[in-house]
Amino acid sequence: MTGDTHYDLEILAELAEGLLDVGTARQVREHLAVCTPCGALLADLAAVREVLAATPTPAMPMGVALRIDNALAAEATRGGVGLAEAPDWDELMRDAPWETAAEAPVRLGVVSDDGTIVPARRRASRRRRWAMPAVASAAAAAVVVGTAVLSSGVLTASGGNGGGLQVAQPSTPTATRNEVKSRGYALTDSNHNYSDQDLRREMVGFMGNAEALGGGETPTGVSKCVNQVSARTKLKAFAVDQGQYNGQEALIVASWKNQPKNKLRLDVVDPFNCKNLRKPTVGRW
Amino acid sequence: MNSPPETPSGAEQSDAELLAAHINGDPHAFSEIVKRHRDRMWAVALRTLGDPDEAADAVQDAFVSAYRKAASFRGEAAVTTWLHRIVVNACLDRMRRKSVRPVADDELIEAAERDTPMPDQTLEREVSMEVSAALKLLPADQRAALVLVDMMGYSVEDAAQVLEVPSGTVKSRCARGRAKLAPILSHLRNRSDLGRVSSAKGAELRDG
Repeated sequence: MTGDTHYDLEILAELAEGLLDVGTARQVREHLAVCTPCGALLADLAAVREVLAATPTPAMPMGVALRIDNALAAEATRGGVGLAEAPDWDELMRDAPWETAAEAPVRLGVVSDDGTIVPARRRASRRRRWAMPAVASAAAAAVVVGTAVLSSGVLTASGGNGGGLQVAQPSTPTATRNEVKSRGYALTDSNHNYSDQDLRREMVGFMGNAEALGGGETPTGVSKCVNQVSARTKLKAFAVDQGQYNGQEALIVASWKNQPKNKLRLDVVDPFNCKNLRKPTVGRW
Repeated sequence: MNSPPETPSGAEQSDAELLAAHINGDPHAFSEIVKRHRDRMWAVALRTLGDPDEAADAVQDAFVSAYRKAASFRGEAAVTTWLHRIVVNACLDRMRRKSVRPVADDELIEAAERDTPMPDQTLEREVSMEVSAALKLLPADQRAALVLVDMMGYSVEDAAQVLEVPSGTVKSRCARGRAKLAPILSHLRNRSDLGRVSSAKGAELRDG
C-alpha cells in the first residue's frame, strides 16, 4: 500500500484518533513513512488541534452576566424563593447603560455630591463602544483601588444590619463629602488604556508609577464614584486611576481585599455614572 | 478553562454542596454556581454557536433551566458536566430550530472587539475570527465535539459524558471535523510558532 494511492484527511484524522483497525493503521503508517504529501496532511491535522487550542476563550461580557442574573432573580421570584437583596454589583448594575441603552436619558452634567449639577467637562471625543449618551464621553475614566478597612468605622457603619446603599465615608474622621483634600486614596491620571490582561497584572505598575495628583483637586465625579464603589464593596479604596478601559474612559478603583496576600478588588467604573464597566475582579498590587 | 480568580475567599463549598443548598432554598447558592462557571459556559456557547447574541440567549436559557431542574440532578455526574450538558443542548437546540444566520464580517469584528478586547493583539483576533468562521462550516455535532475537546481542552471521556454519546463517537466526530478544518486553518499555523509544535506531533504520529 505504498504505491500511488494517497490517503484522504479523514482517514488520517481517524488514524490520529486511533479509530482505524490495526491492519489498516499499519498500512497507513507504512505509507506515511514514505509519502511526503500525506505526511504534510497529517501535520495540517495536528495544526488544527493546535490552532483551536490556542484560540482565546473570552470571558462572559458584563451585559450577558447581568441578563442572566436578572433572569434568575425573576425565576426566584416566580418560584417564591426570593433572592436576598445583597448590595452586590449585579444588583446595582441592573440599569446599566448597555442593558437599557435605548432608553438612557441624555444627561447634561454630573450631579456633584452637594446635589448641584456640574457640567461634564469635555476631554476628548472618543467613540464609545457602548451605546452611551454622547455627553457622557466627557469625563475622564477613573480607576479606583481600595484598601481593606482596617481601623475606620466603615465596616461597622455599613456591615451588619441594613445592607442597603450606604455611602462609606472616608476613614479620616474630619473628612466630609466635599473635603476632597482628605480623600484617603491616591489619585492618579495615567490615561492608560486598560485591558483585561492588564487587570491581571500587578497594578502597581500602572497605578503606582503614574504621577499622583495633588490633594486639592479631586474631580467631583471621581469622589462620587469612589464613594459609590466603596459603598458597594464595603472596602476602602486606596488607589484610583483615571484612564480608559478598552478605549472607554474609566476609573480604576483598587481596594484591598486581603493585603497580606496581596489581593485587590478592582472596580472599573464609568466616571460619569459610576456604573461598573466590567465585572469587578481580583487583582494584585 | 482557566477561570479568572474571582471565587470569593473563605471556605469554599463544592458545586454539589451549593446545588444541594439551592434545592434546600438557599437563595445565594445558585448564583454562586453561576459565578463560578459562567465564563466557561459562555466560551462553550460562543464557540459552538459562533454568534454572541445567540450564545447569550443559549446560556441564559441553560442557566434558567438548570435553576429549575436542579432537583433532578442525580449526582452521578459532576455538576460541571451536568451544566455543560444543559448548555450544549441549549446550543444544539438553537442550531436545529433555525440554522443560525450567517454573520457578516463587520459584525464579527464588532463582536470580537466587544467580547475579546485585545487592543494590541490584532493577530490573535484575526485568528479567533477565522476559527469562528471555519467552525460554522461544520455540522453541529462535529462542532460541539471539537469545541469541547480541542478548544476547551476536555478529555474525550468528559466530552462523551456531556454529549451523552460513546467516546468513540466523540473521537470520530472530532476526526471528521478536523479533516474538514485542516484545509481551511492550516495556513494559520505559519503565523505563530504553532508550526513547530504540530509538525513534531505529526512526526510522532507518522512514526507510530
